[in-house]
Formats: sequence, structure tokens, C-alpha cells
Amino acid sequence: MPSSQDPLFAGLGQAVRIGTNLLATLMVGGGLGWSIDSYLLPTEPWGLVGGLILGLIAGIRNAYRTAQRMP
Amino acid sequence: MEDPLHPFELHTIVPLSLFGLDVSINKAVIMMFLVVGLVILLLTKARSSGSLVPTKLQSVAELLVEFIRGMIHDTMGPEGMRFFPLIATLFLFILFCNLLGLIPGTYTVTSQLVVTGVFALGVYALSILVGLKIHGIKFLSILVPSGTPGWLLPLMIPIEIISQLARPVSLSVRLFANMTAGHVILGVLFGLAISGGLLIGWLPFSFTVALYGLELGIAFIQAYIFTILTCVYMGDAFHLH
Repeated sequence: MPSSQDPLFAGLGQAVRIGTNLLATLMVGGGLGWSIDSYLLPTEPWGLVGGLILGLIAGIRNAYRTAQRMP
Repeated sequence: MEDPLHPFELHTIVPLSLFGLDVSINKAVIMMFLVVGLVILLLTKARSSGSLVPTKLQSVAELLVEFIRGMIHDTMGPEGMRFFPLIATLFLFILFCNLLGLIPGTYTVTSQLVVTGVFALGVYALSILVGLKIHGIKFLSILVPSGTPGWLLPLMIPIEIISQLARPVSLSVRLFANMTAGHVILGVLFGLAISGGLLIGWLPFSFTVALYGLELGIAFIQAYIFTILTCVYMGDAFHLH
């Protein structure tokens, strides 16, 4: 059993996070935009477009922050 | 060849209904009982000797406890030890589900999005509640990254809301997708080995053996990642920025 301080182990843990995080922010952003479009406002395609763009920005920002925290 | 997703289908074994809710027993439920029973059995057995010079099982249990304690100290600091029982339970349950699911004929509970989703949502909701209890309304300042100029606020707040909401999604999807994908690949390769016969079947079979070793590592790393992210989210609730 490796220590939680083991550099290989901790680095692997951090690396695996980034990919799924990018996907998850994109999904959440698109989902929020789509639900604004279809239930709240009559802004048919633009909520989805804006939501996807915001999700992409959030994902890249998170990846950047995770990478910055790496030793 | 059969459908590669066929092993993930659940069929009711004992139909049960509680207050109109469907609580039937199926393979996944039996596996969960088995995992919980095994963890309790192993840890009580490891504890029962309690000698100064640890037995084999006892030293494994001590290593596990030290490992989880290290994770909590790194991310939450010493005050996070209040959550040790929760974190240790999560880690042990997910680890044993992943590992026992690798035995042929059993069922991998963590390959169901329902299970991982409930864990992720519960952990995330708990971290929000803990943050609100400690910091009160000031906790909402997690939505404003430090050092943001005022004119950027209308853009930054939606971005932060999205990245907060993405936390439970990525936490649950990561575990579920890794376990499902690994088992599908193993199943497909083994199917190839069987249909290939002796002449060429040894090639996919050797890949199955190699990938099985990789899956053992993934089972451990995914349990570790789920737990360390739980610790990180809890730590964010403790320390604002």
C-alpha cells in the first residue's frame, strides 16, 4: 500500500481528474443552457450555445487551476 | 458473441415492496451485502488480536487506517478527522466493490450510475451543508474567486456555479465509466479469445491477463480518487480560499 504522499500516486490521481472534469462542466453548462431554452425563456438556440461556451470556459479554468496546484 | 453490456443488466431475484417502493433483491444488492459483511468481518478480526506486535491482518488494517488518515491530513488538516468514519467507510466500500467485482461471476456494484451518483450527490450535499454551518452566508463567497475585478463578476459567477454543479457529475461519472469500460473491454477480449480457438485465441487471452492486472490497479486508484476528491470538497468547505 503506497503512502498518499507518493509522488507517482498523487500525480496519477490529479491527472485522471482533469479529463472527466472537462466533460462534466461541458455537460452541466449545456444542460443548464438547454433547460433555460426549453422551460424558462423563449431564446431557442442561444441558451444552449451560451451554456456550452460557459461550460467550456469553466472546464478549462478548472484544468488550469488543477495543473497550477501540481508541485 | 453476446452483447458486451449484457453482464451489467440486473434481474430481480427476490421481489420485495416496501411502502409502495420497489426494494427487490437483485445481484447488485447481494453484492453490496457481501461487501459490507466482508469489510466488517475483516476489520473486526484484525482488531480482535490487538497485540503490540501486529499480526498479518492487523498490519494490513493499520496500513489502511494510516493511508486514509494521511489523505485527510493532507487535504483537510487535523480538524478533518471528525469525518474519518465517513471517509473510511466510503473508501473501503468502493475499494471492496471494485475489487470483488473483478472476480468472474460476481457483479460490480460501482458500475451502476445510480450507486455512484447517490454517493457523489450525498458527499457534495454534505460538503455544502458543512460549509454553510461553519461560515454562514459568507460561504457563498466560494462563487467569487479571490482577486476578481468587479466588471468580470457577471461572467465569473455563472462559470463558478457551473464548475460547482459539475463536481458531483464528474465524481459519479468518473467512477461509473471507469468500472464499466474496464469490464466491457475485458469481456470483449475474452470473447475474442474463446471464438478465436487455440490457433489465434492465445493473443487476445494474453491481453486479457495483462488488462486484468491493469484493472486491479484501476480499482484501487478509482477508490482513491473518489475519496481524495471527497476530502478536497470537504476541505474547501472548511477553508474559504
